[in-house]
Amino acid sequence: MMEELKNKKILLVDDEKELLKTTEEVLRSEGFFNIYMAENCEAALQIVKTQPIALMLLDVMLPDGDGFSLFEKLRQMTQAPVIFLTAKGESEDRIHGLGLGADDYIVKPFLMKEVSLRILAVLRRTYQKRQQEPAFDLGAHHIDLATATVRAEGKEQVFTAKEYMLLKKLYENKNRIVTNDALCMAAWGDSYYGYENTLMVHIRRLREKIEAKPSSPKHLVTVKGLGYKLVTDDE
Amino acid sequence: MMNKTAFKIFICFTFLSASIATILLAINVLGLAFVGSDTTTQIHDQSPEGMLEQISDALEKEEDGFVISDDSLLAEDCFCILIGENGNVLWSQNMPSDIPMHYSINDVARMTRWFLNDYPVYVRTRDDGLLVLGLPKNAVGKYGMEYSMEWFDSLPRRVMSILVLNLLLAAVLALLIGSFFYRRIAMLTNGIRELRQEKQVSLKEKGIFRELARNINDTSSAIVRKNAALSRRDHARVNWINGISHDVRTPLAIMIGNSQILENSRELSEENQKHAAVITGQALKMKKLVEDLNLISSLEYDMQPSDWESVRLCPLIRETVSDVLNSGLAAAHEVELNIKDEKMTVRADKSLLERAFFNLINNSITHNPGGCQIQIRAYADRSGAHIRIKDSGIGMPEDVLERLADKNADIPRTAHGLGLFMVNRIITVHGGNMHVHNENGCVVDIILPVA
Repeated sequence: MMEELKNKKILLVDDEKELLKTTEEVLRSEGFFNIYMAENCEAALQIVKTQPIALMLLDVMLPDGDGFSLFEKLRQMTQAPVIFLTAKGESEDRIHGLGLGADDYIVKPFLMKEVSLRILAVLRRTYQKRQQEPAFDLGAHHIDLATATVRAEGKEQVFTAKEYMLLKKLYENKNRIVTNDALCMAAWGDSYYGYENTLMVHIRRLREKIEAKPSSPKHLVTVKGLGYKLVTDDE
Repeated sequence: MMNKTAFKIFICFTFLSASIATILLAINVLGLAFVGSDTTTQIHDQSPEGMLEQISDALEKEEDGFVISDDSLLAEDCFCILIGENGNVLWSQNMPSDIPMHYSINDVARMTRWFLNDYPVYVRTRDDGLLVLGLPKNAVGKYGMEYSMEWFDSLPRRVMSILVLNLLLAAVLALLIGSFFYRRIAMLTNGIRELRQEKQVSLKEKGIFRELARNINDTSSAIVRKNAALSRRDHARVNWINGISHDVRTPLAIMIGNSQILENSRELSEENQKHAAVITGQALKMKKLVEDLNLISSLEYDMQPSDWESVRLCPLIRETVSDVLNSGLAAAHEVELNIKDEKMTVRADKSLLERAFFNLINNSITHNPGGCQIQIRAYADRSGAHIRIKDSGIGMPEDVLERLADKNADIPRTAHGLGLFMVNRIITVHGGNMHVHNENGCVVDIILPVA
């Protein structure tokens, strides 16, 4: 599945040759191998005309025009996702880029790992939309988000809607702290204020379904004063 | 505020004008009375009645007719006659030829109050006849006046109503003139207020305040010109810093990319991979410096944050702390949270405030790589939202503390203490206060005004 994503054709547009070369090398070492490069708008348009590009990484400043207008021209030819890569850090620029419909925005300088992770994330979002919700194991419990069920010791239980939303949010941020606020927001939306106690109740029920010993949780861990963390085995 | 002042001026002016008008009116009435009171005819410093009385006293009846003891009593241009019971002239002095010697009762009645052959006459009754004093022709005008008693009764009322009418008129006039001045002064006051706000002022330069209006206009133009020059310079500075940092970013990206490739290269020895990692680490430091510099320069010279919104402080703190913990930087650090007053909100640029808190917590972590305790406390009271970030580490260097305490301190000349300086600026921009001191570690106290 990951391999499939890394097969996709990626176009890098930047006027800095050195940066193109470095980025290409890093992406290759990360497993991407269909990488195209352009140093200006003209070349970029030429490549998009001839190749089915799956994702474009655009510099905002180019010798024959700016990345934003290149983006608009490219949009008429392809719906492939775009990540802006820019040396301008001002928030207005960021908003401008995202407002045009870009999928992400990376400010130079950046860690190479960051770029490849963001590319993967955008590719996943774009090309695995109809893919089923993930399934994973927590200890002896097998959780399937597609069916919103958990199976353990031959017994199957179904998550309630709120439990499902909380678990999904936690899984999307697995091994990271998710604040109470973010969890309440995920379950109850913008006007989440005042649901903290209800959240605790839902978390307790969730633990009863996914923890071997709900009183001493190993996977759905409380981070005191902050929120919760879903600790998975795979990372 | 300013309308109050102008209103005061207006009231004073009206009052003053009304007083002046009233005083003038009073003086005029008195003056008129004085001038008008001199209605009695004066003949050689003597009233005709007085002269008649003296003549009458001096006129004696003797055996062969009437004799006056002193004929100088009668002025030369006047004449005097005595008319007896039978209508004949018994005695005369200076009598003109056109005066008859005999008078019927009708003649007497006709002349007594008025004229005798166009000579104005005054009469005095005596036991032996009627003494008549004649003045030269055209010396005196005589007019009869009659008033009913009712007229006398209503006189005070009518005088009063005229007075009231006068006062009213004075007030209306004062009001008109006063409001004219009020408008002019209000305009000038307005102009001066806008001057203080450093706006462009252009008042109409006319009337008695023309000089004043022109001076205000000129001053405002000068201020606007100066401000424009200042903001041009600030803009140039911000743009320069932005430009520099922009130009630094791309080489940095290339540096980081290549050093990371080296870090992961299997051809390099482990030692050399570590050298590459050091390069990456230092380049990342430069990246942070460039970002901080950008933010500080724009906070310093240019603009206020643009994304003001109502921000709930507690979720913001939780999110920031989670970010720090999730970044994996704080492995050896123990973070303890004690936040109350869930509802407290502040008007803030959320990303700026987040950055400030992140910087503070991150400071504690990077300054104490061996690990320490970090306590974060937040609560609200009447004076605002209080946030305290306290660590059990080595504390803040004295020179950084000193510079923070100095309100007039300029941007640090080196990167040393830049992060804390930036946090201070962010808090200040939000109308808050930051205080840092050492107490078994570093203690940062922040107060923000609650929304």
